[in-house]
Amino acid sequence: MRVCLRRSRRTATPDRGLRLPRAPRLVLPVLILFFILPFARAASAQTEAREEIDTCLTCHADESLTITFGDGTTQSLAVDGSSFAGSVHGETLRCTDCHAGMGDVPHPERTFKNRAEFRAAFRDACRSCHVETYTQSLDGVHDRLLAKGDARAPACADCHGAHDIGKAGRPRAAISRTCARCHESISAAYATSVHGRSLLDAGNPDVPVCTDCHHAHDIADPRATSWLLRTPELCGRCHTNAPLMAKYGLSPNVLSTYLADFHGASASLSAGSGTEPEKGRVTALCIDCHGVHNVMRVTDPDSPVLKANLQRTCARCHPGAPASMPAAWLSHYEPSWQKAPVVYSVKVAYAVLIPFIIGGLVLQILLHLWRLVVNR
Amino acid sequence: MSDLVIRFTRRQRLEHVLVMTTFTLLAITGFPQKFYDASWAHATVALFGGVDRLRLVHRVCGVLFAALAILHVALVSFEVATGRSRPSLVPTRRDFADAMQTLRYYLGLADRQAPFDRFDYRQKFEYWGLLLGGVVMIATGFILLYPLAALQLLPGELVPASKVAHSNEGLMAFLVVITWHIYNAHLSPDVFPFDTSIFTGRISRERMAHEHPLELERIAAAQPPPANHEPALAEKGDSPLLQ
Repeated sequence: MRVCLRRSRRTATPDRGLRLPRAPRLVLPVLILFFILPFARAASAQTEAREEIDTCLTCHADESLTITFGDGTTQSLAVDGSSFAGSVHGETLRCTDCHAGMGDVPHPERTFKNRAEFRAAFRDACRSCHVETYTQSLDGVHDRLLAKGDARAPACADCHGAHDIGKAGRPRAAISRTCARCHESISAAYATSVHGRSLLDAGNPDVPVCTDCHHAHDIADPRATSWLLRTPELCGRCHTNAPLMAKYGLSPNVLSTYLADFHGASASLSAGSGTEPEKGRVTALCIDCHGVHNVMRVTDPDSPVLKANLQRTCARCHPGAPASMPAAWLSHYEPSWQKAPVVYSVKVAYAVLIPFIIGGLVLQILLHLWRLVVNR
Repeated sequence: MSDLVIRFTRRQRLEHVLVMTTFTLLAITGFPQKFYDASWAHATVALFGGVDRLRLVHRVCGVLFAALAILHVALVSFEVATGRSRPSLVPTRRDFADAMQTLRYYLGLADRQAPFDRFDYRQKFEYWGLLLGGVVMIATGFILLYPLAALQLLPGELVPASKVAHSNEGLMAFLVVITWHIYNAHLSPDVFPFDTSIFTGRISRERMAHEHPLELERIAAAQPPPANHEPALAEKGDSPLLQ
């Protein structure tokens, strides 16, 4: 009954409320204004920014403008207006977006002990937009050095540039050049490696650059055990990728075969349990046999893992390694009739023996229990 | 007449406790190395304070186990050679017949199971399984402990082969113990919850009559029932392989 009543009420109040008002003449101009205003405002903002930049450049285009730090060193304060205009920020930011508090001329007095403190101060300017990468970099080795006041440690602008910032990581080859500014010898070794040559000579995008392994912002201390123990995982990221490895005729099983061996199991147990190796040295990791930044093709005559060089490589950790030692390592092959017949036979024998013996014993237990039940 | 019969000497009981302890520790410290990517393996390694210390415990126990095995074989061989004990654990044709008879009994094809002597075929199987498995574990274990020394004498491929054998033989021994031995010593309705004879050295005359009637007969024949209630057998001269 109630339902019926409601329905009838609804139908009883018909079109009157729904009738549209007559469109006023003003609607069209208002709409047009509504759409145009943001562009107009943006245009005016751009003009304002342009004016601000030009104002700053009246002083800061001067090449001789410098600041002197507490330790006596100096830093140029000159800005190239055209390189800023061409940078990623050229069209979006004005000077005071980063240089907050510098809107007044003359600028408020600021003093820095040294260049490191000066650099560090500008990280906060980046933080207001790039919170995520800023937070990551707080965990990095560079920030830790910066916090200690190490003048050599880079802050954001040292790698990315200050006014001439380009798109991060482009081109890829630029990354190793950026790191090379401080890490010269490592970068030189990388340039001779199978990865480095492929990138720098052939522009191959498949190979890793510095930041693929070390990261760009949360860079760990590469001497830390926890970092070293991650190497199988790092190398494995590409070297277990079957389609990628097939492209270069490489095996995607190098990680699984490494882990199945004594060294790999030790690394896995140390990393997984979060414990430090007692003797201060980690077990042999990928990099201990293959090399790190200078890693070579395994067929290279100088490769430390080439069969002819392997005894010497083993001897680095196992002094007095006999000539038969390389044969004790299955060279990342799964045991098979062709590659390691003895190991394969033992494996197959146990794969048959264990189910046979245990199955037989369990069967006998079940028969015994069945007999006891029947006897009751 | 006493209700208890002496079944194991003090030395045999001690041997069992030592083998049990080293075996358990070897399993606890060995399996994390076999299942290196399991979370429980990582937790066990963390408990020991690192893979190096876990391995130290494993190796010390391994060397102890090897010493126990060598001592055992030497002592038993000496006793059998000098006639101080009977080779009662040596498998005979009779054991095969017993196994068949038991199987037929389980399947309802025979009225009663075979009467057993001091050790039945199952106990002999387990003893030789442990001893021969132990030989494999000790030999491969020493190759893995001293790979450089082993490589002076052996072809290189035997080192990874030893690793595969050590790891699988250990797994098999563990599985035999947790199924067969735990069943026969704890879970079997015949002994549930706990066959204490290997710890106390004594077994009830009733169980002897049920499980080892032939040995009970031999004891009765060799020694007329004593007047007092002392145990029927002297501990002296009762050795592992034997009596």
